[in-house]
Amino acid sequence: MGNDKQTDLLQGTLDLLILKAVSLGALHGYGVLLRIQQISGEELVILQGSLYPALYRLEHQGAITSQWGESENNRRAKFYSLTAAGRDRLEAETDKWNRMAGIIGTILRTTEEGI
Amino acid sequence: MSLRSFAGRLIAEPHSWLRAITRRNRLEAEMEIELANHLESLTADLIRAGYSPAEAARRARIALGPTLVHKEEMRASLGLRWWDELGADLRYGIRMLRKSPGFTAIAASSLALAIGANTTIFSLAKSLIYDRLNVAHADELRMLRWNGDSNAVVHGMWGDFDTSWGSGVTASVFSYPVYLQLRDHSQAMQDLLAYKEDSMNTTFRGNAQRAVVAMVSGNYFAVLGAQPQLGRSIQPSDDHVGAVSAVAVISDWVWEREFDRSVSALGQTINVNQSLLTAVGVAPREFTGAKSVQSSPDVFVPLSMQPLVDPKGKNASLLDDPDMWWVNITGRTRAGVSNAQAQAGLNVGLAAAVRGTMAVKAGDTMPRLDLVDGSRGLQFAAQMFKKPIYVLMTLTGFVLLLACANIANLLLARGAQRQREMTVRLALGAGRGRVLRQLLTESLLLAGIGGAGGLFLGYLGRNVIPRLMANAWDRDQLNVPMDWDVFAFATAVTLLTGLVFGLAPAWLAMRSEAGSSLKQNAQTTTRRRRGLGGKAIVAFQIALSTLLVVGAGLFLRTLLALNSIDVGFRTDHLVLFEVAPPKQRYGPGKDVQLHQRLEQGFAALPGVQGMTPSLTAYIANNGDNDDFLPEGEPGTKDRSGAEDVNVVGNTFFETMGIPMIAGRSFGPQDTASSQKVAVINEALAKKRFPNTDPVGKRFKTGDDKPVWVQIVGVCADTYYANLRDMPPPQFFMPYVQQPDVGRMTYAIRTQLSPAELVPALRRVVQQADRDLPLIDVRTQREQIDATMQMERMFAALTTGFGVLALALACVGIYGIMAYSVANRTNEIGIRLALGAQPRQVRGMILGESGWLAGVGVLVGVGAALGLARLVKTMLYGIRPWDPMTLIGGVSILVVVALGASWIPARRAAGVQPMEALRHE
Repeated sequence: MGNDKQTDLLQGTLDLLILKAVSLGALHGYGVLLRIQQISGEELVILQGSLYPALYRLEHQGAITSQWGESENNRRAKFYSLTAAGRDRLEAETDKWNRMAGIIGTILRTTEEGI
Repeated sequence: MSLRSFAGRLIAEPHSWLRAITRRNRLEAEMEIELANHLESLTADLIRAGYSPAEAARRARIALGPTLVHKEEMRASLGLRWWDELGADLRYGIRMLRKSPGFTAIAASSLALAIGANTTIFSLAKSLIYDRLNVAHADELRMLRWNGDSNAVVHGMWGDFDTSWGSGVTASVFSYPVYLQLRDHSQAMQDLLAYKEDSMNTTFRGNAQRAVVAMVSGNYFAVLGAQPQLGRSIQPSDDHVGAVSAVAVISDWVWEREFDRSVSALGQTINVNQSLLTAVGVAPREFTGAKSVQSSPDVFVPLSMQPLVDPKGKNASLLDDPDMWWVNITGRTRAGVSNAQAQAGLNVGLAAAVRGTMAVKAGDTMPRLDLVDGSRGLQFAAQMFKKPIYVLMTLTGFVLLLACANIANLLLARGAQRQREMTVRLALGAGRGRVLRQLLTESLLLAGIGGAGGLFLGYLGRNVIPRLMANAWDRDQLNVPMDWDVFAFATAVTLLTGLVFGLAPAWLAMRSEAGSSLKQNAQTTTRRRRGLGGKAIVAFQIALSTLLVVGAGLFLRTLLALNSIDVGFRTDHLVLFEVAPPKQRYGPGKDVQLHQRLEQGFAALPGVQGMTPSLTAYIANNGDNDDFLPEGEPGTKDRSGAEDVNVVGNTFFETMGIPMIAGRSFGPQDTASSQKVAVINEALAKKRFPNTDPVGKRFKTGDDKPVWVQIVGVCADTYYANLRDMPPPQFFMPYVQQPDVGRMTYAIRTQLSPAELVPALRRVVQQADRDLPLIDVRTQREQIDATMQMERMFAALTTGFGVLALALACVGIYGIMAYSVANRTNEIGIRLALGAQPRQVRGMILGESGWLAGVGVLVGVGAALGLARLVKTMLYGIRPWDPMTLIGGVSILVVVALGASWIPARRAAGVQPMEALRHE
């Protein structure tokens, strides 16, 4: 399948975004979606279906943990929050992302004279 | 990913996975709730943004996408996918197996039999050859042995030694003075212990019996690291020469059997060979002692008790005798000392000890010390059974291979039937790995059923095998434990067979391209390719069966040959038992009187038709010999003139039914004070008195003070120690004319069973002496059977294997021919339509299976000829290439092969051409 790599990249990015979102406070699934959209200024559109597999994967890996509580509309909802391991991972991934963005930015800014 | 987070995931993931599979229902419900919540919140937000409720709900559903797919991905995120697929595979596999119960039953039961046989033989082999003594750190134990050439300084030995090795001698017994020197002066070894096991008359609470008594050095329990479960063990202070302490430690088994595990056993008096000992402790449960892995001594006494409980030699004590070598020595090397260093050190020590204790003459050579593995004791069982066990392991391995071949064959045939199913699956998009996994799951499932059955059969076999190996009258049985190793072995075998017979058909199924067989129709199915694989397997099965059937034939013929031997005396209605008067109560002369008294007592019992004592019981792997020097023959210094001897009662020849050829037998006129007389057998007459009449001749016999003995008769030949050696030359002397006799075997001719007779016999013995036990009561037939134990076990097991092999071959041949006929219905229809006779069609099918059988039998006979040479020493009366056995085995297989293909052949001949052609 041709777009395998693209999915991988998106997936990795989605994980990072979820970690960032729940690092600011416990959220349920829909809340994570809203917060990412809100922070990004509605610029980023997330495939809603891929959100839950990503949440489950992160919980499975021990980066986030969940607790059942009551949502704002008085429903039982599962709230996700960051674990210590997840915080480490968020920092590491953030560093990595920034470094990568810096490198790619430098490459893209290079002009003909620069070589 | 950092190492820390990797480690974190290593802990988190299994935990999360386990939680997911154990709370599966809750997990599913939670996923449902989460997605429903999401949808609801999204819809609410959309309504707030101005959409109508219906439109909002529609848009929310589109935005979220298919929840079924999401849930599947959520499960995959938790690592549940392979688990779910495994469950599906298993369910499908079970459904497939239940759909064809006949196939499942045959495959699983043949596997169960093969795995059961392997498990049993493996347990046996493990126990006999690989198991260690049950003492602390058995692997560190080292046993002392020595070997010397024919001039070695050691002449007197009591215990195990082997002179057949080269021209010298190898032994693991030492004199007590040498032991003391080695123990006290060895730098390389930690404390050295010494022991000697012997069977003695023992009385516990008035119950007289024969027991194995270990005389042990004071440090024995300490070196072996054994803590008594009750009371105390034997201490160094118990083992002082001169200041003997009459104490004994009893085994766990004796404690259970004689004292009901009562604490009051401590302080009880035990009578061992007329010495009264006090029980001070009970050895640990399962303790084996230092000698044998398979059994423990019944009683342990200090080694310094030897002159009292087991007097030997001129002045009863061996403790200060430098010339009699008799104790076994075991110890542990010191930390940091290599085996070679320890051996070198002990070797120097041994030479010094020999020079310091013995009178070394010119020309005498020093024994060289060998430090060998002591973790399995003296390894009698291992030495005796090593070869038979390996032969059995090979044969059971063949049986397993045969069962695997059988299942592979059945699965191949089934795989061909399922070819369409597989191609449909592949065409619908199933991954190859996925289909392969499905097939493997099915074969492993089958193997699992077989393995469970095999383990069960192995558990039963564990109880059967010791019975095949033990004497009919022996009370202690060989103990074959069922442990985790055995379980692991059975599991490994099961998995391996599952993989072996599962992979081949799976691979074949995979080889075909998707669609290829969908396009093909019934007639053009690639018969040739599949047929060859299946036929090769069936030929292989037939070859293995031939091998096993020929093997069974060889061992059966051996047993028959041994059974049909005429031993030279009447073996029916003869009860044997032994009486062993201890030396310290019955000195020279007194023992003869005791036996005379017993003889009168036994002869007077009702139901006793005849009775005789004798020194040597026949066909009991025992023998005695003594000098035999006819008058006029020049005497030599060595004992080259020695012949087999039996010292017997005056009624010996009548009771045993041995006919006299010339002269007379013994009678009441032969007494202690009359002329010393003897009877010789025909073989001895031929050997030492060729061309002359031996009756009336004299010969000289006896070690210390040779006496002249007159020959009064010649009797017929009889077998002696065992059935494998031809009747040897023998001479007989009345026991009443001997200075001392000691232990004798009584033979009683009676119509009564031993059980009916024993109480009366015991009364006679107890009237003479309360502490004398009747030892080893058995019939002569049982005695002879006992010497053929191994042959009987082999005949029984190999016959079982052979029958199993035939049954499997039958199934294999029938399966392949039935399949072949079913596949060729069209072709056969055409043949018949074109004018072929049903007879010809039948001949064609039978010919094909005959061909198959021929190839298999040929290969099998070749292999059998090669392997039979290896078991040559285990056979009797036949050559390894025994033509009768080979012809018999081959004919059985050919008959079975043709019989198994008869039904398919008849079915082929009965094909209706029109129906077959319409069949398409």
